[in-house]
Amino acid sequence: MTPETPLDNPRQTAVGALPILIEGGGAAGISASLDLAAAGRSVHLIERTAVLGGQVLRLDKLYPTDHCAFCPLWTDIRRLQGEPGITVHLSSVIASLEASAEGNLATIVTKPPFIAPERCISCGRCAEACPLGAARPLGEHIYPPSFRIDEKICDRCGRCVGVCPTAAIDLARQEERKTLKIAKAIRAAGFVEADLKPLPEFGYGLHPDIMTSLEFEAWTAEAGQNGGRIVRKSGGGSPANIAFIQCSGARDKRLLPWCSAVCCMHALKQSSWVKRRDAGIDCWIFYTDLRTVGRDYYAYSQRAVDEAGVRLVRGRPGLIYPLPGGGIAVKYEDTLTQKREIRRFDMVVLNGNLRPSVGDGYGAEPPADACGFAAEPADVAQSACQGSSTAMKVLIGEREGSCRA
Amino acid sequence: MPGVIAFLCRCCGEIEPTVDLPALRERIGREEGVAAVELRDTLCLPEDRAAILKAFEESGADRILLAACSPYGKVGNVVAKLSAACGNDRSRVRLIDIREGCAWIHRGDPAGATAKACDLMRMGLGFMRHGKQSADAVVSVRPECLVVGAGSAGLAAAGSIARAGYPVHLVERGAAGGGMVKLLSHVYPTDAGAEERLAPYLEAIAENPLITFHGKTRVAAATGYAGDFKIRLASEKGEKNLRVGTVILATGAGVWLPRGLYRYGELKEILTLMELERRQREGKAAAKRTVFIQCVGARCPERPYCATICCPSSIKNAVLLRKADPDAEVTILHRDIMTPGHILERYYRSALEAGVRFIRFAEAQPPVVLGEGRVGRVEVFDAISGLTREIEADQVILSTPLVANADNAKLAELFHLPLDGYGFFREDYPLHPLETRQAGVFICGSARWPVASGEAVTQGEGAAMKALSILGRKEISALSMSRLPEGKLGHARIEDGSCSGCGNCVAVCPYGACALQPVGGVFVSRANKMRCRACGSCTSVCPNGTVQMPEHNARAVGAMIRRAFAEGDAR
Repeated sequence: MTPETPLDNPRQTAVGALPILIEGGGAAGISASLDLAAAGRSVHLIERTAVLGGQVLRLDKLYPTDHCAFCPLWTDIRRLQGEPGITVHLSSVIASLEASAEGNLATIVTKPPFIAPERCISCGRCAEACPLGAARPLGEHIYPPSFRIDEKICDRCGRCVGVCPTAAIDLARQEERKTLKIAKAIRAAGFVEADLKPLPEFGYGLHPDIMTSLEFEAWTAEAGQNGGRIVRKSGGGSPANIAFIQCSGARDKRLLPWCSAVCCMHALKQSSWVKRRDAGIDCWIFYTDLRTVGRDYYAYSQRAVDEAGVRLVRGRPGLIYPLPGGGIAVKYEDTLTQKREIRRFDMVVLNGNLRPSVGDGYGAEPPADACGFAAEPADVAQSACQGSSTAMKVLIGEREGSCRA
Repeated sequence: MPGVIAFLCRCCGEIEPTVDLPALRERIGREEGVAAVELRDTLCLPEDRAAILKAFEESGADRILLAACSPYGKVGNVVAKLSAACGNDRSRVRLIDIREGCAWIHRGDPAGATAKACDLMRMGLGFMRHGKQSADAVVSVRPECLVVGAGSAGLAAAGSIARAGYPVHLVERGAAGGGMVKLLSHVYPTDAGAEERLAPYLEAIAENPLITFHGKTRVAAATGYAGDFKIRLASEKGEKNLRVGTVILATGAGVWLPRGLYRYGELKEILTLMELERRQREGKAAAKRTVFIQCVGARCPERPYCATICCPSSIKNAVLLRKADPDAEVTILHRDIMTPGHILERYYRSALEAGVRFIRFAEAQPPVVLGEGRVGRVEVFDAISGLTREIEADQVILSTPLVANADNAKLAELFHLPLDGYGFFREDYPLHPLETRQAGVFICGSARWPVASGEAVTQGEGAAMKALSILGRKEISALSMSRLPEGKLGHARIEDGSCSGCGNCVAVCPYGACALQPVGGVFVSRANKMRCRACGSCTSVCPNGTVQMPEHNARAVGAMIRRAFAEGDAR
C-alpha cells in the first residue's frame, strides 16, 4: 500500500523525526551520512578514532585509478562537516543500544584526546618536549594537521602542557557518556587487521621487514616518513626484492575463512608503485587465485606484470623466517611448475588479514543494517555504494512502518 | 572605496621569526587599498574569530586578506565563516599560505622567506582587486524520476523511489521487466528461484500507482539539467515528453556468443552458460558428465576483463547438477576462481564439498574439445598437477562474459557521460561509485560494470538514495551541485556582447553545459550553470576572452601574475 504523502519535503517534514545513528566514519559511513543529510535527516556519526575517513585515510593511492585517495575523501569530509544536520562524535564508541517506548536509546562514550584538535596548530613542540615519544602527528594524510598523545605510552609528566603555545593539552581529560534518542542505527564500522602472530609460519613480528600491507602502505606512502622511497625498516637502504604474500590468514580455516576481497588488487597496486619508484626492486606476488573482478582490475594486473615487471607465483608459502645473516627466507612451492624453493627476500608484505572491526566474523547473512566491510568484505566503491543503499532501506523501512501504524 | 584589512599570523612562533612580520606589515601597509594590517599570535582558535571580526568592522575595510597557514590547515575553516561577514562573498576573503609553503620550507633563509611572503601577499592583493564570485542559480525540482532499464538494478531503483513516495517513469526496451534474471533458473548465492526473486519487484511495478511502466520504449532525446531534465521517449505508439528531476541509468549488460571458440556451433551439446540456464528452467539440463570452461572470450586480448559473475554462476549450476543427480560428474576448468568476499568464498567451498571438481588451466594452454558431431571429451593440461587430463563429457558449458549494452553509447551521448574502454558507464570516482560526470544522472547495475543481481539491487537502492537527495528538495542551487564544500569553484560565465558564436566552447565542454542559442538573430553560446562544473576548458579555447570563470577571471589572475614578476621597488 502506498502512503499518502511522499517523503518530501524532508527538509521540512523530517523536522521532528529522530536522528539516525551511524557507526563508523569510513567510506560507507560517510556516504550514508551525506545521503541522509541531503534527504533532510539529522545524523549522529560515531567514529572510534580521532579523525573521519576510516581505512581510506591509510591508503596512499586508490586502485585502479592510481590517484591519491586523499583529495576526493577530504572533499567529502569537508562537505560533511558543513552539513548542519550531521553531528560528528570523534573518539567515541557505542556503549549500548536499547529500545524504549519513545524510540531507541544509544549510549555514546567519548574519550576526548589529550590534545584538543580545534586548538592544535601542529607546531610539534609537544613531540620535541616528550621524553617518551608519546606525542606524534595524528597521521600523514590528515588535515588540518594535528598531534596526538598515545595514552598508553604517556606517563602524564606534563612537559608538553608547558610548551604548548595554544593551551591545547589537558592530560586530565575524562571520558563522557551521552545518551541519544535515535530512530535507527546503521553499522558501518569497517575492518581492522587481524593479528597474524597465531599463525607462526608467516613470521610476523620476527623481523622488522615482515609487515602487513597496511603497515607497508604507511611505510612507503609519499606523504609518509620516507617520502615515497622504498627502504628497509631494518636499515640498509633499499631492498633488492620484496615478496607480497596473498591470503595471509585469509581463506584459512584457522583464522579467517573468507577472502578479504581487496588484497589482490592492493598487492598489485603496491608492487606496481614499488616498480614505478624503483624499477630495480624485484617484486614477487605469491597468490592462490588472482581476484581482479572490478572495472579495469584485470587490465591493471596485466600492466603490473607486462609493463612494470611484477612476478606472479601461484603458491602459498609454507614458512617465512628471518635469516641469521640478514634478509628473510620464503619457502614455497610454485604450484604451476611444481617446484619447491627457498628464496631470500629483503622485505615481506603480508596481505589479507582483514576482519570486521566489530564482532567475531561474518554470520550466514549480512545484517540488514550493516554496510561496507562490516557487512561483507568490500572495497571503497562497494562500501560507498552500500552506505547509500542501507540509508535508502532505513528511510523506506521507517516510512512504511509509520504508515502501517 | 573601502579597502583591505590584512591579518598576519605569527602562528605562535611557527611563522615569525623566519618571516620578519613587522617588516612585512610595514611593506604591505604601503600597498594601495590596504586600510589596516594587524599582527596576531593566532587566527584559527575559537576565540580569534570575534577579535578578527571586531578589527574588520573598526577598520572600515570591506575585504579581508589572511596570511597564515595552508588552506588545508586550521585557517581554511575560518575563511568560510569570515565570508559571511563580507556579505557571503567568498571573493572578498583570501588566504595566503606563509607557513607550510613559506616559513617552514625556508627556515634557513629568513630574508628570502620574508621576500616570498611579501610577494605572495601582494599577489593576493592584486587578485582580490578583481575578485568576483559566480552568481548562484536556483531551479525548482521536478519531483519525478526516470529509470532506464527494468532489470534487477532498475526495478530496485524504481521500487525504492516509489516506496519513498515519488513518481517514477520506468522505461524498458523490452515488453516486460525482469532483465537478465528472467533468463536464469536460479540466482546465486541464495539459490532462490529466479522467478521467486523477481516476483516482488514485478508486482511493485504492477501495483504501485507511482510507477509508470513504459514498455518497448527508448529514450530518444534528453536536455535539461539536474532538477529539470526534459526527456523524449519513443515507442511504436509514438513519442512522449517528460520532465523529471533525476535520471537513473540501469540498462544492464548484454550476452556474448562464443562463435568459433571451443567448436561452439559446430558440435552438439556445447552450450553457453545462458543456454544451460534455459535448460535448467525447462528441467532438461541433466547430464551424466558436464564440463564447464571458464573465461571463454574473457580475460583475453579482445575483452581484457573479468566479468565477475561467470565463476559463481558456473559454481551454482555445477552444484545444481550434482544435487539433481548425485552420480553426475561435474568439472569446472578455470584460470582463477573469482569468488571474492565471505559469501562467495563460502559458496565456492560448498561446491567443493558437493563434489564438484575444479581443474586449473593456463591461458596459454586452453582446453581442447574433442568429438565428432557431438561432444565426446575435453582434453586439458592440469596446471597444478602438470598432467594432461582427458575428461569424458556429455555436455560442455562455455562460461562467457557479459558485454556492454549497445544502447549505452546513445545514452552516453544524450547525457554527456563517459564510457569506459569496454562500453560500460564510468562513475565519477571510486568514492562516488553511483554518480556520474553529469549532476542528477546516476548509474547502477551491469550498465556500470557486470554484477550479479544481488549487487545490482544494492546499487539500484543506492542510486535511488542519490536521486532522493535531489528529489527531496523543492529547489536546488547550481553551486550545491558542485559537490565541493562551499561550491567554491563557481561556474562559467559568457558575455553576450563579445561572443562570436564560434562554438569552440561547445565542442570542448565535457558536461554539455555550453550550447549555441539564437539571440537577436545571431548564435551566441550560453553556459548552463546547473551543468557547469567549473573545469575551465571553455575559457582556454575562447578566442575573444568572452568566457570567464568569475572565481578565476583573467583580470584577477593577470594582476596576480604581474605582481609576481614585478621588478625593483615592487619587491
